[in-house]
Amino acid sequence: MRRRSLFKAAGLGAIGAAGLPFAAACSDLKTGEGSTQTTEGFDFLPEYKEWPLPAEPDLVGDPPNHPSAFTSYPDPVEAISEVPSGSGTYEFTVPFWGEAPSNDDSYFAALRDGWGGTTINLRQADGNTYADTSVQWLNANEYGDGILLFSWMLGSHTNFQETVVNSFYDLTDILKGDISGRWPLLAGLPTQSWAQSVWSKDPADPESARLFGIPSTFSGGPGNAMFVRDDLMDDAGIAMPTTIEELLEAARTWSDDANGKWAFGSIDWILPQMFGLIGDDGWSWDEKQGKLVNDCEKPEFTEMLEFRRLCWDEKLIHPDAPTGTLDGGAMQIAGTILFSQENPVRWYEYTALVKDGAATGSIKPLPPLAAKGRTPVLKASTSVDGWTFLNKDLSKEQVEELLDVANWCSAPFGTKEYELMEYGVEGDHFEYDATGTPIYTEHGTKIVQAPVNLKQYSGKVQKFLTGDPEVVQAQFDYNASVQQYIVPSAFEGVRIEAPAAAKSAAQTLSDQQNDIAYGRAELSTIPDIVATFMENGGEEAREFYTDVYKSLNEK
Amino acid sequence: MATMQSEAPPLTARNPDARTVKRKRSFAQRLRFDWPLLVLALPVVAQLAVFFYWPSAWNVIAFMDYSPHRPFWDNPIVGFAWFERLFADPYFVPALLNTLKFAAAHLLFLFPLSVALALVMHSVVSTKVRSTFQSIVYLPYFFSWVLVVTVFVQVLGADGLVSNWIMGLGGDRLSFTSNPDTFLLLAWMQWAWKDAGWGMIIFLAALASINPSLYEAAAVDGANRWRRMWHVTLPGIRPVIILLLILQIGGILSVGFEQYQLQRNAIGYQATEVLDTYVYYRSVIGTEGASFGTAAGLFKGAIGLILILAANKVAHRLGEQGIYQKS
Repeated sequence: MRRRSLFKAAGLGAIGAAGLPFAAACSDLKTGEGSTQTTEGFDFLPEYKEWPLPAEPDLVGDPPNHPSAFTSYPDPVEAISEVPSGSGTYEFTVPFWGEAPSNDDSYFAALRDGWGGTTINLRQADGNTYADTSVQWLNANEYGDGILLFSWMLGSHTNFQETVVNSFYDLTDILKGDISGRWPLLAGLPTQSWAQSVWSKDPADPESARLFGIPSTFSGGPGNAMFVRDDLMDDAGIAMPTTIEELLEAARTWSDDANGKWAFGSIDWILPQMFGLIGDDGWSWDEKQGKLVNDCEKPEFTEMLEFRRLCWDEKLIHPDAPTGTLDGGAMQIAGTILFSQENPVRWYEYTALVKDGAATGSIKPLPPLAAKGRTPVLKASTSVDGWTFLNKDLSKEQVEELLDVANWCSAPFGTKEYELMEYGVEGDHFEYDATGTPIYTEHGTKIVQAPVNLKQYSGKVQKFLTGDPEVVQAQFDYNASVQQYIVPSAFEGVRIEAPAAAKSAAQTLSDQQNDIAYGRAELSTIPDIVATFMENGGEEAREFYTDVYKSLNEK
Repeated sequence: MATMQSEAPPLTARNPDARTVKRKRSFAQRLRFDWPLLVLALPVVAQLAVFFYWPSAWNVIAFMDYSPHRPFWDNPIVGFAWFERLFADPYFVPALLNTLKFAAAHLLFLFPLSVALALVMHSVVSTKVRSTFQSIVYLPYFFSWVLVVTVFVQVLGADGLVSNWIMGLGGDRLSFTSNPDTFLLLAWMQWAWKDAGWGMIIFLAALASINPSLYEAAAVDGANRWRRMWHVTLPGIRPVIILLLILQIGGILSVGFEQYQLQRNAIGYQATEVLDTYVYYRSVIGTEGASFGTAAGLFKGAIGLILILAANKVAHRLGEQGIYQKS
């Protein structure tokens, strides 16, 4: 570099540096500033027409947080007597956990014949990375003719509202009003399901709200629990814990690091609830302070981290827990760990494994726990599980054909359509046992029992607890016993996308919690990590959520 | 068939005494003579245009509030706002410092290891020993980082081979694969196992190009093995060392991704976060958006360019060839 060119470069650099604050100050970044969407009070939704259930449940609960249940298998009836004839071929992107079944299996051919000939090929993507990669597919419009997104996946998206209104088919004109003639099962979905499938073209203008998604099943109740190998606990003479203090004692009694026995695999996402930290996106209203406070600002946050650290220091938790890749379920089967944080579906899986001889003993959920004599609290997710969005490039006729299929998929428990969807073809994928209940064959377990497939394409008219009668009864009883602890959301009736800065700050806070929990940072740093969170997006989020909270409570 | 290399028509020498003026060929003439070369270059240019220059042009979104759902020119220009947000993020600087730390360690502790391995290999006379050693040392390069990290966890992890052996002897469980304080050492061990052998191959190739008569002459002059290495071998491979050093400095902020990402949970983000993982967690799977990630990438590229130019300049000052021959 010649001397002159060096000066030139230095001059340019100086001009750039001087211009930097000016240019930045002039800017106004809109990306990631967060958005809200009301999910009630629309006049353009499908008109609700009750779809009479073919069989009454054996155990009547109080849906959605306490679903009704079937402990016997009713004779299935046909929900749709005349299926429309479809001939189109479509591709849907769906998440999958485990080994994806082949699209060529007879199960999918039977489904295609069942709903009238429309072919839907599945593009099955790894469920573990699905939420994150779906962002790129949507931006590139590379997801086929439809995509299934679970509601918990929206957190991975920036400006999801913009994605929805620009990428997906606007279903409003097709589904508005009385649709019970052509799609009686879709008309039988709860109005709340449809209302939660609405996004506004312009978030600032409520009049621009439109219907964009086909809702999955509307569900509620406890979405997760700490499951324990109760047979091992009984053998060790440990009583079922009813408080956090008893849980700690049970963990101490069971754990034996030198002999490869630990109480816990990981406890990161189940523990906050046990310490009462169940704010919506972390935020809850504090009457005393008269403001929204974040979970991390509460003294229980420190207690929770102290508990996690204690478990680590006393070797009550598996030494490889920090990797985040432990298979808690497999370790619980092996008896290496006693407690595992799980979705209640695990209860049914475990019981099936025991019946197949692949596992021993039994598991049970712990009752809601709390520390220091406090009353336990539970978070219930009362919403649609997710949505199937159709590509905006489809024609009206194609969308109507896909809605024909969605209507077929919404048939609830007790119908032939449900049986085909959930169990496959008799003799191939399932057999009836002595009580007339379908039991998966080995082939059925591999192909049909799979977690997603097309089962979530469109919501069922009503959700029931079904399956192994003993587990159904036990889960029904468990749900009944926890109803008193369920705390409603402070932001009922509104879907919130937090500002991007708050989401980033929350991610960092989570990383820092792990540092403390696994002995990489001291407990004394808790005030620092809370301050960092507040300074880098927390306060912005408080302001944002406070506005939403006030607008909801001023109505 | 067209010739691969065309030559200008011979100048006629009607009058040997007359001064001939070499006429500069016009563009059309050059095109006529050189078109086979241009045709040969075309696929490469097309490949670079599609996969490098066109994507590079998209760096402009670092200065926009970009959304893929708007027509490109409707995206508002926001100047350096994303850079401002980047520099204001309290986790950017630690990620940058970590990156520099790993890059420096790689340069200081791995680069010489490759040179040393090559020198050792070069001095082994037995072909059998040499080929066995070479295979053992460079094969791990073909393992994926997932495999490398898994092997280290299985051997040195808290529930691994060594840990269980120590516990069997009454000792404490190892925490080497989850200890942020010793992560640099762990990372170095992983580089050494995976990459040092591969680096060695390039130096071995350079060593093979040294004229053996130089060694013979040095030996005749009484130079011992050490003297021969110092005065013949090292000067012989110096241009290659300098070239690789410059290239490494240019990519100093690209220390890798998988190795750090795979061990991030076990070690903690503070010790493992580098610029690439930072961008991944903030922008790709985080919610900061494409413009933010592009701004971070552009920053990295600009620093890399400055470093590579500076290093090349220093190499030229020292009389080395650098990445290109100074005209």
